[in-house]
Amino acid sequence: MDLEANRSLIASALARIPTGDRTALQTVYRLTSAKLFGVALRILGERGEAEDVLQEVYVTVWRKAADFDAGRASPMTWLIAIARNKAIDRLRASRHSRRAEPIEAAADLADDAPGAESALASAQDHAKLYGCLGELAAREQATLRGAFFDGNTYEDLAERMKVPLGTMKSWIRRAMIKLKACLER
Amino acid sequence: MSDTTDHSGLPRENLPEDELLAAEYALGVLAGADREAAARRVARDQAFARMVTAWEERLTPWAAEIDEVAPPPQVWDAIAASLPQPRGSLWQSLTFWRTFALASALASACLAVVIYLGAAGQGEPLIAAIEGGGTRSFVATVDARHATVAVVPAAFAADATRIPELWLIPPGGKPLSLGVVRADKAVVIAIPPALIAQTANGATLAVSLEPPGGSPTGAPTGPVIGAGKLTNL
Repeated sequence: MDLEANRSLIASALARIPTGDRTALQTVYRLTSAKLFGVALRILGERGEAEDVLQEVYVTVWRKAADFDAGRASPMTWLIAIARNKAIDRLRASRHSRRAEPIEAAADLADDAPGAESALASAQDHAKLYGCLGELAAREQATLRGAFFDGNTYEDLAERMKVPLGTMKSWIRRAMIKLKACLER
Repeated sequence: MSDTTDHSGLPRENLPEDELLAAEYALGVLAGADREAAARRVARDQAFARMVTAWEERLTPWAAEIDEVAPPPQVWDAIAASLPQPRGSLWQSLTFWRTFALASALASACLAVVIYLGAAGQGEPLIAAIEGGGTRSFVATVDARHATVAVVPAAFAADATRIPELWLIPPGGKPLSLGVVRADKAVVIAIPPALIAQTANGATLAVSLEPPGGSPTGAPTGPVIGAGKLTNL
């Protein structure tokens, strides 16, 4: 579906939820659940857990839809943030560094060019983010990826990259500073 | 901005501490007490929440890399079942309907016995199980002596926008409205005098879904959800 049409459908359905409109929630679910399930599954690595999280996500959407501010975030950003946070909370509560395997910085790097599959951000935003990620050092990209896609903590990442915790913190903070500066150029 | 590639030379002061904390929270690298503290701050500090949202907005295009995976249908069922029930609506929880259907079945059995005993020697009581699609939706019992029909919902899941209407269909005849019934409780309808003679053994009772207030045309306009023949007990 066309990105803008999809975005406005989701936004208008979100706007109807605070009136108690269940079909609006169902519309949001129909349009977004496969993406959010993919996000939760990626972080949790286990379907049953991801299904529980997905349920929590849409119950939260039902309760908090009035908080969604279309002027501040796109609906997919808002929804993905809820899904990532719920999945990360569950991961933190349940595991002991499930993903402790070392990161091979080069192998784990994104060579994924912005693909056709970018229904949640304009091709322009997508290309810009990838351009800016490309300006980061390889190890910085690898750590950001570990955090974003796998839900890794500072401790996990320090262990995986075999560096002290303090070093990992400054890598990530520097990487985020550079990323922001680049995106705002 | 070529100096941004110089890892050692980048001053921390480039971004305020709050902004960095917002970035860490949005990225998801915080754990334990740090993560909880940041989450609480999102809830009460608007300026901080805005920074977090801005970071989420920056990072979200990355999620395009994540493949979509269709969740199994029971996830939606669980979500729908866990939503609070809207007040004054017929749309109730599955648990409610299961309990209610059981209670209704018992009630209709008792009612049938009462009618049978009461009507002994006063004409035959007639009963119709209104079924369709493998589901018994209502049970209707005709009390010929009082010219009424009692209609008890069995396993009828209410529709938010349409109401059930009861029809009498004489053998070879057209549906005649007996009135609207309720999904949430038993109703007793007075049979119009003109229809009493036709409310007899072998006639069919049917329920269709109609706009609020009943069919506007006098004939069924919505889907027929079930039907059953009136028979002697």
